[in-house]
Amino acid sequence: MTSSAYVAGRGQAGARSARRLERRRLLFWLLPPVAWFTVFMLIPYGMLLYTSLGHVDDMRFIPGLSIDNFIRVFTVDPYLGVIFKSARIGVMTAILSAIVAYPLAFYIAFHVRSARAKFLLYLLVIVPWWASYLVKAYAWKTILGSGGILNATLQGIGLTDGPVRLFLYNEFSVVLTLTYIFTPFAVLSIYAQLERIPTSLIEAARNLGADGWTIFRRIILPISVPGIVAGAIITFSLAFGDFVAPVLVGGPDSVMISNVVINLLGVAFDWPMAAAIGVVIIALGLLLISASGWLEEKTQTRF
Amino acid sequence: MTTGIELKNLRKMYESHGHAAWAVDGVDMTIGAGKFVTLLGPSGCGKTTTLRMIAGLEIPTSGQILRDGMDITDQPVTDRDMRMVFQDFALFPNMTVEENVAFGLRVRRMKGSISESEIRKRVAQFLDLVHLADHGQKKPHQLSGGQKQRVSLARALVTDPKVVLFDEPLGSLDANLRKIMQIELIRLHRELGKTFIYVTHDQDEAMAMSDAIAVMSGGKVVQFGAPREIYDRPVNRYVASFIGHAHIVDAEVDGRESDGLTLRLRNGERVALPHQNTSAGVGSPVGLMLRAEDLTFVDQAPGAIGGRIADSLYRGEYIEYVVELHEGAGVVHVHSRTDMPLVRHGASVALKVNPAKAHVLVH
Repeated sequence: MTSSAYVAGRGQAGARSARRLERRRLLFWLLPPVAWFTVFMLIPYGMLLYTSLGHVDDMRFIPGLSIDNFIRVFTVDPYLGVIFKSARIGVMTAILSAIVAYPLAFYIAFHVRSARAKFLLYLLVIVPWWASYLVKAYAWKTILGSGGILNATLQGIGLTDGPVRLFLYNEFSVVLTLTYIFTPFAVLSIYAQLERIPTSLIEAARNLGADGWTIFRRIILPISVPGIVAGAIITFSLAFGDFVAPVLVGGPDSVMISNVVINLLGVAFDWPMAAAIGVVIIALGLLLISASGWLEEKTQTRF
Repeated sequence: MTTGIELKNLRKMYESHGHAAWAVDGVDMTIGAGKFVTLLGPSGCGKTTTLRMIAGLEIPTSGQILRDGMDITDQPVTDRDMRMVFQDFALFPNMTVEENVAFGLRVRRMKGSISESEIRKRVAQFLDLVHLADHGQKKPHQLSGGQKQRVSLARALVTDPKVVLFDEPLGSLDANLRKIMQIELIRLHRELGKTFIYVTHDQDEAMAMSDAIAVMSGGKVVQFGAPREIYDRPVNRYVASFIGHAHIVDAEVDGRESDGLTLRLRNGERVALPHQNTSAGVGSPVGLMLRAEDLTFVDQAPGAIGGRIADSLYRGEYIEYVVELHEGAGVVHVHSRTDMPLVRHGASVALKVNPAKAHVLVH
C-alpha cells in the first residue's frame, strides 16, 4: 500500500514537472507572435487611443483625457456624413462585386470541366493583382475620361456627338473602379464555397426531377450564402477605407473618410481628430466583423 | 405486358488525355420488371457507368435503352421515372431530413400533381418505413452513416418510382451496418415490388440480395444469371475466382463417358466426375474449380486427391486448411468443422470432391 502511494506521489511530481516544462516551451514558441502583436498592434492601438483623447494647441500636441474629438466626429460636419457616404460606396461596391463575381465563380465551379482550364481561369482572376493598384486606377481614368476609350467608341459608332462627362469624376466612377479592383476577392470566396458542393447533389436533384432553376434556388444558392457574405465583407471593408480611387477618378463631392483622415494629418495637422476618426472606424469595423462572423456561422451549411 | 428494362448493345466511350477507352463495351441485358438485379464487378468494369446511363446521367455513345419496350435512350434524366441512391448519399445538406425526402414531391407539386398535405403524409409514411420517424427535423450532418442512407432511400422511394437504382449504396458503411441494410433492402424490395438495379463490387452482397447477377469485366457482361447458377456454374475462371473462394486446379480431360468425364491432374492423379456437361474433348486442358466447402477429408480411397496440409486458419465457424496437392498440382482450401480432430501441419491427407458440386472450366 505504501509503495503504491509512493509511486503515485512520484507520478504526480513527474507530471507536474512535465507540465512545467511544457509551459516553458509554449512560452518560448509564443514569444515571437506575442512580441509582434504587441509592437505592431497593441502599442499602435494604444497610441491611437492616447492621441485621440488629446488636442493640438499652437501646432503642439497636448495630451489629455477629453472625448471632445469623439463628440466632434458625430456632430460636426462633414465627418459623420463622409463616414455614411464611404459606407454607401462600400455597400454599392460589395453588391456590384457580388453580382459580377457570382456568375463567374459559378461558371468556373460547375461548367469548366478540365482542371487545367479551371486553374487558368482562376489565375486570370488573380492576375490583375500583379499589377499595381495605382496603375489599375489610372487605367480607368483613361477608359472613362472625355478623350478615353469609352467616349471614343461611343462617338465612333455615332451614339453620342461629343464626349460624355458623366462617366468620370463622380461617385459612379469611384464605385466602378473599386468594383473592378476588389471583385477578385468576391470571386474567390464565392468560388471556394461553390467548390464544396459535390456533383452528386446536383445529379440527385436532377434525378428527382428538378430543373436547373430549382436546383439553383433550392440547393446551390442557399449553400453559397456564406461565400457571398464573406466576399461582401472583404470588398466592403477594402472599398470603405480606400483613398486612391476618390483622388484619381472621384469628383469634388466623392471625398471618402480616408481622404478626410489624410487631410487632417497632413494639411490641418489635427492628429487627435484624425485619431478619433480612426478609433470610430476601427470600432465600426469590429462591429461589422462580429456581425458578419455571426451571419456566416448562421448561414453556413454543414456537410 | 411489362418487360422492364432492356439494354441493347450499350456502349460508352471516355476520352482522357487524348486516348479513348470503352468504359462500357456492348452490354446486352434484359431486367425483368419487379426484379432485383445486381451489376457486379471490380472497379473500372463499367458497372457504374451502365447504371448511370440507365438513369440518364450519362449519355451512351451508342446502343439503346428500352423501358417496357419504349426507347428512352434520349429521354432527359428529369423525365425518367427512376430514382437513384448514391454511394455518398447525396443528401441536400441545407435541408432537414423531411425537406430532403419531400424534395422530389415538391418538384412535382410545382407541376401541380400533388397537394402539400399529401406531401406531408407521404413523407411521414416513408420516414416511418425506414425507421426514421423521429428524425424528420434533423439536418443530414446530425445523422449517422446508416441513417443518412435510410434518408436517401426514403427520398428515392417516396415518389413511387417503378425503378430504383443503387450505386454502391452500402459502400461507405461498416460491415455490421451493411448486413442490417442488406436485410432492410430485401424487405423493401419484397414489400414494394419495384425493380431494383444494384451496383456493387461486393460479391457477398450481390449473392445475398439479387434475383439475378450480371458479372462484369472490361465493360462487358461476362455472365448473367441467378446467384446459384453463377456460383455453381461460372462460365470462366474470372467469374469462378470473383464469386466465392474458388481454387482452380489445372487438369486435362482424360476420358469421356456418356454423361461424365475423367480428369487427369498435373501430378497424374485422376478425378472422376459423373454428370458434367462440357464440350471439352479428350486431351484438352481445363480448370477444375474446387470450392472449400465441397472438399472433405477422407481416408485413402480410390478417386481421392492427395495433398499436404500447408497451413490451418481458425475462422471461428470452421477451420480453413490450405492443402498443397502433390507434386505442385495446385493449392486448394478445405473447410472443416471445428468439432473434427485437428489435422497436423505437414500431414498427408486425402481429399474427396463432391461430384455434384465440382465444375469444369473450359475457358
